[in-house]
Amino acid sequence: MAKDPRVTRIEDLPGPKSQGEMDEMKMPYEEYCKNLFDVGNEHTKPEALKGIKWLSCTMYIFTPHSVANLAELGAKVVKIEMPRMGDAMRHTSPFNECYLYPLHDTRPMTGTGLGFTNANPNKYFLTMDYHIPEMVEVFYGLVKKFDGLTELYRPGTLDKWKMSYRYLSEINPRFIYVWGGGFGYGPKIFGGSYDILGQAHAGLASVTGMHEYMGGHCTKQTNWVIDWQSGNIITCSILAAIHHRRKTGLGTMIEFSQVQVPTRMLGHTLPMYGKFGIVRQRWGNWDTQLCAHGIILCGKSDFPDADNPQDKFDARYVMVSAFQDADFKELCAITGMNDLYEKYKSHDKRVEGEAQVEIYGALEKWAEDKSRSEVAKILQDAGILAEPVRNDREVYESEHFRERGTVRWLDDPLFGDMLVHCGYSCGLMEKTPRRINWHWRPVGADNKKVYQDWLGVPQSTIQEWYDKAWI
Amino acid sequence: MAEKRDIEINSRADTIGLMDMDVRPYPVTPPPPYEQVKPVYEKRKALEFCEWAEENLKFEKRYGKDESLSHLRVLDIGLWRLGHKFATSLFGEAGAECVSIEPPGGDPLRKLTPFGREEYLLENKETGEKCGMEFVCETVNTHCITLDVETAEGQEIFKKMASNVDVLIDGMPPGYMDNLGIGYRQLKDANPKMIYVWVGMLGQWGPWKDKQSKFGQWELEPFASCANSWVHNTGLAQDLLPRGRGGDPTRSGIWLADYVAGAQAFLNANAALYWRDELNNTGQMIEVTGAETLLDIIDFDITWYGFNASIKGRSGGWDPNLNQYAWNPCKDGYMMIGGQTDKLWYNIGFCLERDYHQFGRLIHEDPFLKEVGARNALHALIKTYSVTTRWLRDQCRVEAEAKLLEYQLAAGPVMFIDEVAEFPHFKYRPWQYVQETDYGPLLIASSPASYQVRAPFRCKWMGRDLGADNYEIYMKWVGMNQTTLNELKQKGVI
Amino acid sequence: MCDIIWCKKEVDGKDCDTINYLDPYYFWNWEGTIACAECGTVYYIYMINGFMYKGPDERPGEKPDILPLYADKPYDGYSNYRPGVEGRTRPYQCMPRSWLTGTADMVKFSVRGRPVRGWRPQPPSAGLAGQFPYNWDIQKLTPEVWEEYQQKLSKGEVKDW
Repeated sequence: MAKDPRVTRIEDLPGPKSQGEMDEMKMPYEEYCKNLFDVGNEHTKPEALKGIKWLSCTMYIFTPHSVANLAELGAKVVKIEMPRMGDAMRHTSPFNECYLYPLHDTRPMTGTGLGFTNANPNKYFLTMDYHIPEMVEVFYGLVKKFDGLTELYRPGTLDKWKMSYRYLSEINPRFIYVWGGGFGYGPKIFGGSYDILGQAHAGLASVTGMHEYMGGHCTKQTNWVIDWQSGNIITCSILAAIHHRRKTGLGTMIEFSQVQVPTRMLGHTLPMYGKFGIVRQRWGNWDTQLCAHGIILCGKSDFPDADNPQDKFDARYVMVSAFQDADFKELCAITGMNDLYEKYKSHDKRVEGEAQVEIYGALEKWAEDKSRSEVAKILQDAGILAEPVRNDREVYESEHFRERGTVRWLDDPLFGDMLVHCGYSCGLMEKTPRRINWHWRPVGADNKKVYQDWLGVPQSTIQEWYDKAWI
Repeated sequence: MAEKRDIEINSRADTIGLMDMDVRPYPVTPPPPYEQVKPVYEKRKALEFCEWAEENLKFEKRYGKDESLSHLRVLDIGLWRLGHKFATSLFGEAGAECVSIEPPGGDPLRKLTPFGREEYLLENKETGEKCGMEFVCETVNTHCITLDVETAEGQEIFKKMASNVDVLIDGMPPGYMDNLGIGYRQLKDANPKMIYVWVGMLGQWGPWKDKQSKFGQWELEPFASCANSWVHNTGLAQDLLPRGRGGDPTRSGIWLADYVAGAQAFLNANAALYWRDELNNTGQMIEVTGAETLLDIIDFDITWYGFNASIKGRSGGWDPNLNQYAWNPCKDGYMMIGGQTDKLWYNIGFCLERDYHQFGRLIHEDPFLKEVGARNALHALIKTYSVTTRWLRDQCRVEAEAKLLEYQLAAGPVMFIDEVAEFPHFKYRPWQYVQETDYGPLLIASSPASYQVRAPFRCKWMGRDLGADNYEIYMKWVGMNQTTLNELKQKGVI
Repeated sequence: MCDIIWCKKEVDGKDCDTINYLDPYYFWNWEGTIACAECGTVYYIYMINGFMYKGPDERPGEKPDILPLYADKPYDGYSNYRPGVEGRTRPYQCMPRSWLTGTADMVKFSVRGRPVRGWRPQPPSAGLAGQFPYNWDIQKLTPEVWEEYQQKLSKGEVKDW
């Protein structure tokens, strides 16, 4: 305590003890968060998974993405591709238009399509025909040094090559082995799998799209969402397995079927069928459990003179949400639907199917002579939640994503100026932020690095393997 | 076998209970027996490996195995949304001790039910308390307690609990916890090893940070997927179906961004735990949003804009990158067909030609369609899928699938949930099964991470009454005795 | 005939012989009139779940409700009308840009004007076994693009965003 009881010393008070701490405590919360995450300085901070090393014998999106998560978090990941061919996904590009060159030293006229984006950042690209007898020992050499492997072959394929978990766990008992595919053991074990098959097969498509009576059809989610989200959940499993290994010293095998993932995300759909025999249907842009909480069509586009057709024709949709009583009352008042408020005062009344048809119909009628931004502004000014449905350009131009660093430009070491919307967007981390070093590299671009620098193979041998197309 | 009885149905309410699992047991047909599966394994000469896999990975063995995260304590606070709940459920499935805090009035999510129908709320068999299915499904292995953190006493209790957890998952609005003096910056000194994860829609900071209405209503999905172009990019083109009748941007049927955010929250928290335990010994703050985690996986869309100012549009059941790779309507629903390489693409035609002779003449003989890259052109997709659907309209899904599989093609029907529930492979695994819960037997989806040699994810229970675990958790976590707890309950703090 | 309308209308003593494709989602359940892309003959059709419940019946003199998106003539070397041929096919508006080529777009600069390696051919790595370095020496490898970039810089065409 200070000698003079009238003097208050900071150190005697509970809470912050220094001026710095004081400032931190007094800072507005937003500013505090912004300082904490320190966007743009990711590379000066440590990596969360430093020391973890992972092998990837994967293709397409699903399994590569499961490993990309590790690479963004700082693990050292080696992607092994077939010599000169590479991942089949490299040949996918929207409307056959966008490629970055070259694909490989020997193929200057072929590029890697943008379909490859986001599933392969930060990986080291090795080539190896690991199923030929000459390369098996080299592959085992990697297994001894690495923590785990993700693969996507038809079940039993790597077992035939003596590279399944049964064999690798004898070489390295701490090895974590992941198989990712469509179905796993069981009658359809050898069924091939695609994202679209997962969306169709496991129930997600049946609840997405406009209702039949609206003239709508089952609709595909725009992205390869089941590939991507399955990849995320594989990474969840891998990290849990790494924690388990810290405790027990033992590796494991994870058998992961992507076709199962949508069913896990269907919420009440499955128990509702089981208990009440009700088969959930599509409900378009509205919500089965909340009203008003849906997307409405406005009469006018925000950019009628734009050159790009997406701006010109489709900047017309607004997400409107006013499901709580007070919000709904205000929504009805501002849009002149007071009769509807009287009719549907309680939420359980207005969330009924017929009520929803009436309410959204009236809202769209009200919005018929307005543009998207007018509708959003009128509702926002009234204190109601409403946001335009944004397109890719608006995401690019969004100050929000720029300030948070979740959309940013990357001077890719090999391919130059590219936009990044992966990695940084997976979550801001205060002390061990995710980061993107490069989008991807050509097929075999790290052969020398891995074979010579990590495995000690002489350069002449590397050249010999390369000439024989073993690597 | 249930007893036969006469019933009279005058309204929907009379049907409740008639469909329950004791009356209409699941599954309707039994899963395929091993004897039926074995020949599949043998045919590909993989019997030995497949038997090893079944022996070591089988779902039914999950409870006998270890739990990977049983050493962790996880505290979750949040309302309305599924993101923080899904993350907590994943921790629960992996064996962590999870506690979820609700205000004494309960999470409003408990009251949500399809089309507001109270008869579809689940009822606790012992207590009679009702709860919505969505809430129950995302409270896997999670203890439910109540606490009013807006009271001074509530805040003190919260601080004590938070000082002892490994992970704190915050699903409240931006700055809400901080305002109450129980956010990350106030708690981190008392528990420097804590991983604090905020899960939201768009952010706790930045120009588009999460909002509330003037009346305090929260932003819920699909606000996140509207902000990151996902909704704009989903749905049928207005050229393929009239606008206003399905040719519009379309939201997902589920609260998709919540699930993606939940997975990334779990994933990042586990990476932070690894760094804490293995390398640095300190915790940290993580912020995860639905809009951004979904942006991470929105294919190449934003990168594409940066390349040549393309703005992705809708393409319905078709994929603009591949031909064929789509679903189209058929006699009894929708059929997905995939085959892009020449070999597979022609095989589709050979199969369809058997019933629809013009297919080959219209498709295979068109010189433009012969080149694999070129046939991704828009008009080529329109032509290919129009003629394919001409065949499909005469086929039921099961017929179409059988015919296409003869040609080694990837083909699968769009299935509705009753069909999903009875699909033989799914029952064999099983990917959905009957879990006994406080609400009676429920048909639920198993965790996709349940198939592991050592420490599979698993559901042990789901859903709890409001405050069901108050006495146990407050005793164990803060040493509060029942008398004190009852007093606090009286005061409305718990 | 169903999901296609094969127009056999005699025009100037010759069969029109054009196939008008009815795209599956739009026409799955649809009633109205549609014009042949080649000869303009108007047909009435009524489709239910993909089946031609009524039609196609000629409706001379009527204005069509709609045009097909695509039509072609197999007996004329598959000559075709792609979407958006005025008066023949309806436009396809839901596109990522106002123009599409369907072939690789040779891009040298990103939308903010900085170099991106989106054109071919590109020089090889000159490294061992396909090894590439961690930089792109654009000045050395493709001096002409480097020069173009310098001009863009001086003209202020290179932006931060």
